[in-house]
Amino acid sequence: MQWQFSNDAPIYTQLIQHIKIGIVTGVFPPGERLPSVRDLATEAGVNPNTMQRALAELERDGLVFSQRTAGRFVTEDHTMIQTAKRGLAQRHIKTFLEAMLQLGFQREEILALLEQELGEEGRGRVGA
Amino acid sequence: MSVLDCKALTKRYGRVTALDEISFSAEPGRIIGLLGPNGSGKTTLIKLANGLLTPDSGVLSICGAAPGPATRALVSYLPERTAIPTWMSAAQLMDFYGDFYQDFRRQTAEEMLAHLGISPKQRIKQMSKGTREKVQLIMVMSRAAKLYLLDEPIGGVDPATRDYILSTIIGNYSPDAAVILSTHLIADVEQVLDDVIFINQGRLVLQSTVDNIREEQHKSVDALFREVFKC
Amino acid sequence: MLRKLMKHEFRATGRVMLPMYLVLLVTAVGSNLADRSILDSRYEVLNVLGMLVITAFGFSICGVLLISFVLMIQRFYKNLLQDEGYLMFTLPVNVHQHIWAKLIVSSVWFTVTVLAVILSGLVVVYDMGFLRELFDFLGYFFQGLQKLKISEALNGTVYLAEFAVLIFLSLNAFSLQFYAALATGHSFANHKMLLSVVFFFGFQFAIQFLGSTLFITLDHLDLIPYFRWDLTPQAAIHLGLLLAIGGVILYGMIFYAITTFFLKKRLNLE
Repeated sequence: MQWQFSNDAPIYTQLIQHIKIGIVTGVFPPGERLPSVRDLATEAGVNPNTMQRALAELERDGLVFSQRTAGRFVTEDHTMIQTAKRGLAQRHIKTFLEAMLQLGFQREEILALLEQELGEEGRGRVGA
Repeated sequence: MSVLDCKALTKRYGRVTALDEISFSAEPGRIIGLLGPNGSGKTTLIKLANGLLTPDSGVLSICGAAPGPATRALVSYLPERTAIPTWMSAAQLMDFYGDFYQDFRRQTAEEMLAHLGISPKQRIKQMSKGTREKVQLIMVMSRAAKLYLLDEPIGGVDPATRDYILSTIIGNYSPDAAVILSTHLIADVEQVLDDVIFINQGRLVLQSTVDNIREEQHKSVDALFREVFKC
Repeated sequence: MLRKLMKHEFRATGRVMLPMYLVLLVTAVGSNLADRSILDSRYEVLNVLGMLVITAFGFSICGVLLISFVLMIQRFYKNLLQDEGYLMFTLPVNVHQHIWAKLIVSSVWFTVTVLAVILSGLVVVYDMGFLRELFDFLGYFFQGLQKLKISEALNGTVYLAEFAVLIFLSLNAFSLQFYAALATGHSFANHKMLLSVVFFFGFQFAIQFLGSTLFITLDHLDLIPYFRWDLTPQAAIHLGLLLAIGGVILYGMIFYAITTFFLKKRLNLE
């Protein structure tokens, strides 16, 4: 997993996104133990306090839970993971739509373009 | 109690005021960036905290005490230049640190040297400039100090070394210790820092947390720095 | 902490001094052999070789004297006032301990150097005949001592001891004068080395000026009539030597104070 940070948002919110993506894509599988704060911080190259803050927020949302001595674990609640996945998708769609509207596309045009693109991609895959 | 506390700290070199009534404090568990352009007073501040210079006025205390032999046992200092005696071997250097600092963790140092493939028998003289800097950093970070003062730890090193240095700092994080690192290369260290202190021409310009700057200003510390210190 | 400083100071200097003593010893043994056999040899090559070995011995005597002196200055300058100063002055150690460590270690090397030169001289001239002569001399010496009154023998020994102490303390005071000049010169932002040299000669001048002023004043005060001590010549020599020792201690203390002040309050590492 590559850790890269943009300049416009706090680092801990970006860390939350990264870890969420990790959970959704199975880098951190359900029920598995997460690496320690120090290891995660070292891997991401960020301040351990910032990593701690990101994990605390994830814990509050319920995506991870901590067991007093054993450390932090990924939730086993699949609905919750699905919700997180959907949440991430919605963020992407929102930014996409904002960009398209800014370019002057209408709702129908966007849909048509999307369908065309998806169709081509589908055929491309079959062809390959 | 603050690990480092400065009150109205002032230092002059002849007629030039290098530090002008600087006040701030560093709490344990924080990694603090001391940021400012070249010649802004960063090194002077760090030298004062080490007792390498004496202030003209104001008060500086480390864990409640004035700088002196006793506080130096609590402070681990990485100078801007390579200060380790070049005639020593890595093992002799570890003897040296172990003799003078009770908090020196020899095993940690040995592991870190081995990780870089440096033999304890190797003399500092035979090492490249980059390796010497890494060895010095390993000595400094192998101490369980209360305050780490790192003066330009990433100035003039290649990107791979820079990553090594930063991950060493993160890997040795202790909730009991404060780390102050001075630099003008902000983009590289931003994500490692809790707090930032901007100084310019000896004056404290801004003190905040990295999260606050990004949350409130919607820009990176680096971008803010460029704005504040625009020529 | 002083012991630890000295330990590492011995490590740093021993790696220079010990090989020098070894060279001195080897060339001394070589000269001894050369003197005994090779020089009288019929082969010219061997004659030249013998001469070379003896020359090498001469050079190593000069070398060892010069290096123990240069090392005294160089250790103070390089270890405390150059880049290594950043490491040394941030150790949990005070300035006094730094100065004493340097002073003690360099005076140990001075002493060892003097002994090594004497020893190597003995090695060169050593042969069976020499040894017999030495024992003969010692025999005469002790016989002579027996003839002397106890007070005279004692006086002689004490003169020697006082003289040795005087020389030893002078060397240390001289080292401190160098330390003081370097510490003062390096408290400035620029031209540190040039200023150190200037301060060294400045100190030299000041001490000579004060010293001669003192003597002239004492002379003018014409104090002699006030002293009705009726000293014996022996006592007068003791008094002179002890006064000289006192003077050297004072001289050393002044430079110790200057060095401490500048390292503590005016340290200005580049």
